Amino acid sequence: MSFIEIQCGDVLASVVFIIEGEFQEIPQADAIQSHIGTCGACAAEIEHEKLMHQMLQDVLKRSCDEQAPEDLHESIHRQLRAQMAGGASTEVVTQFSMTEISIEIDEFGNVEHREIQIEQTHIQHFSDDED
Amino acid sequence: MTSKDLVLESAADRTTRFERDALVFTNQLYAAALRYTKNPEDARDLVQDTYLKAFASFHQFEEGTNLRAWLYRVLTTTFINTYRKGQRQPQIAHNELEDWQVAESQSHTSDQGKSAEQEALENLPDSDIKRALQEIPEEFRIVVYLADVEGFSYKEIAEIVGAPAGTVMSRLHRGRKQLRTKLATYAKELGYNTDAPAAKSTEKGDKS
Repeated sequence: MSFIEIQCGDVLASVVFIIEGEFQEIPQADAIQSHIGTCGACAAEIEHEKLMHQMLQDVLKRSCDEQAPEDLHESIHRQLRAQMAGGASTEVVTQFSMTEISIEIDEFGNVEHREIQIEQTHIQHFSDDED
Repeated sequence: MTSKDLVLESAADRTTRFERDALVFTNQLYAAALRYTKNPEDARDLVQDTYLKAFASFHQFEEGTNLRAWLYRVLTTTFINTYRKGQRQPQIAHNELEDWQVAESQSHTSDQGKSAEQEALENLPDSDIKRALQEIPEEFRIVVYLADVEGFSYKEIAEIVGAPAGTVMSRLHRGRKQLRTKLATYAKELGYNTDAPAAKSTEKGDKS
């Protein structure tokens, strides 16, 4: 045969792509498709995989449908409103910085150099939420 | 005062829009959070954190794109970064990408095995389905959940979990296999005669 020989194992390894509808992602997609066309066992396997996948999805969807506790909705709503109010506040930052430098030279020529840094930060919040 | 009012107005509008569009997913996110964290208290906190984080960066969200997918991304990232730290997870192999295809079964399932597997899935109670999902590794559990319960495409899942699409495909494939193996085991315990899909690889197929 002139075309690439496909083993059943290659087909079975590609099942996930076939199930996801991503045939174009499979290397040698054409050869695999033609193999499925002629190999009854592979065709049946893929049918089975599709069916099992469908069933698995159904049971998963059926099982995982918990409802959030009632008060969670309320609590999220409250926190969002609080965050919104926080986000709309105005912050005034006052920064004050001062450096005091003193240089002293005595009669022997010794130099004494001193630096004192004074910093102060003041933050004030104004809430925009007040009436 | 007017400019301040304007800011306040738009913040309120944005909150209202967020609540209208995003809060409809609370139940869905909670069910996902239950699968992620495995307990109601953490699930509750995770959903709350998710909404607060999403709201804080809501201005970055492009209107018209998929809000649900975006919320799941916030949920998943928050879970991975925060909630997982406490729990030690079994790590999956680093070579998952290279060996996942060859490691898979190379032979066909018998007809008997097929019908038994169907029967098992039809009859297992919800509690067993959830137990099986909880028992598979987290990396697998998240992608299987996102694909098979939430219906996201594997490319969307790649965005949500922040992993390459090929990795997602591999995890999806292996996660579903592991899930089915577990379900088959439970079914066996309940008296259904199934061949676990994992057992297939030992019987050498006639065709391959």
